[in-house]
Amino acid sequence: MTASQVEQKYNFDIVRWFTVVSVIYLVVGTLVGVYIAAELAWPVFNLDTPYLTFGRLRPLHTNAVIFAFGGCILMATGFYSVQRTCGVRLWSDKLAWFTFWGWNLIIVLAVITLPLGFTQGKEYAELEWPIDILIAVVWLSFAANFIVTIARRQSSHIYVSNWFFLGMIVMITYLHVVNSLAIPVTLFKSYSIFASVQDAMIQWWWGHNAVGFYLTAGFLGIMYYFVPKQANRPIFSYRLSVLHFWSLMFGYVWLGSHHLQYTALPDWAGSLGAAISLAMIIPSWGGAVNGMMTLSGAWDKLRTDYVLRFLIMSLAFYAMSTFEGPVMSLKVVNALSHYTDWTIGHVHSGALGWVGMVGAGAIYHLLTRLWSTEIYSVKLVNTHFWLATIGIAIYVVAMWISGLMQGLMWRDYDEFGTLSYTFAESVAAMHPYYVLRTVGGLLYTLGGVLMLYNVIMTIRQASAAPRLSAAPAHA
Amino acid sequence: MNSVSDYFSTNWQAMTLHDWLGLGITIVVFLVMLALYTYVLHPANRDRLEAQRHIPLDDDQFHMEEKP
Repeated sequence: MTASQVEQKYNFDIVRWFTVVSVIYLVVGTLVGVYIAAELAWPVFNLDTPYLTFGRLRPLHTNAVIFAFGGCILMATGFYSVQRTCGVRLWSDKLAWFTFWGWNLIIVLAVITLPLGFTQGKEYAELEWPIDILIAVVWLSFAANFIVTIARRQSSHIYVSNWFFLGMIVMITYLHVVNSLAIPVTLFKSYSIFASVQDAMIQWWWGHNAVGFYLTAGFLGIMYYFVPKQANRPIFSYRLSVLHFWSLMFGYVWLGSHHLQYTALPDWAGSLGAAISLAMIIPSWGGAVNGMMTLSGAWDKLRTDYVLRFLIMSLAFYAMSTFEGPVMSLKVVNALSHYTDWTIGHVHSGALGWVGMVGAGAIYHLLTRLWSTEIYSVKLVNTHFWLATIGIAIYVVAMWISGLMQGLMWRDYDEFGTLSYTFAESVAAMHPYYVLRTVGGLLYTLGGVLMLYNVIMTIRQASAAPRLSAAPAHA
Repeated sequence: MNSVSDYFSTNWQAMTLHDWLGLGITIVVFLVMLALYTYVLHPANRDRLEAQRHIPLDDDQFHMEEKP
């Protein structure tokens, strides 16, 4: 099949648009992150304006990286891999464009409302009720297109990457709707229908599963398609991938309660969350090993294949984060780690290392295939890889140290039973680590800027070349 | 809580409808997981499942089998 036939058979335009905007959102989202990291190190960056305070920009940062970058790369890769593995075009081009413009409208609304202070105050679900309804509608349009495309497939089997995308789609619909149930009092103010500890439990049932199903299951869908594809080798064990999928689906929903250790939540609920968290190490590591062992017998590819480097490094971070998280959920560790920067370090090792790296790998893979050209600069890709890796290392180590210091300073007391340090003293002690975090984040963002430049130049290079030759497709 | 039996003791009379529903769902999920592990790890199903590994690699050639 020639490139032009492939182009006609599938809807790759929607994938191209989602891919390009995801890179833009990665740069913008991480840039806001660097700015608020700098605010914590040097509060003068608040500029005495409420619109730029940490409290307002932090949700903008999380929404930008999770839902803008994460959402767009998930939709790009989801729409791409479902067409390729099912051998059919997307069910509805119009619906796909509705999803694209709807999702981007939501991002624009978030950019406007969050700095203005419109928020529900629910972590990773800050947007007010009219936007929540829009999110549900647009998400369901993505779901409908994905599910009907699978239903119309030519293959008899639904490949495992599609299962992971489906799991994400179903669970995020359920989680978003329940967590967002609220009573509106004005156009931009609403109150959750849940109260007290039930509200906290619902919040963290959503919060942890946003990580579990959106940032893990969805991105595992990317991994299960793009690692074999890039390595040109079948996945190490298909049976392991099936167990990985179902264990993740059944296990993850239990974990939210481990965010509420030592609170009004019943003790047994926190213990249950921690116990299942520990059990989840098994499928998570099974999945990580499955991805890495796909390179078994071809490890030399890592020396030359820059895209594989991103993908395999992301799996290393996936394995690290899915071990660290359960350890932190244990009450004895949680007593020290909770409310400290250790949590921030953990989250960013997963977000920057796993989500960001697997996303970048998928973007570079898509770039050459969707625009039928070579990458503009391999050197820039390699520079991006090392900037990202070193940036994450600096960020995470700084947060580990500051988190441990915070935990130890807060619990230290003298022979009279008086706390040894005031809270303000612990804040002052964090300064060097907050500076280091800003440096680490800046390096990661610079990597993203290089990727954006490389993407633009690659597309320009492709536009200058004759469009769609009759050469065999590499798509 | 001084003994293991204390830790696992349950006041069955205090169980609400939600408690029973949760317990029922948990047991069903456990049984389904057990059935799944048995199915996936049974040697008779090995070739059938592992045959699907090649789907992403075959999509270039579009040697897709027709849907029955």
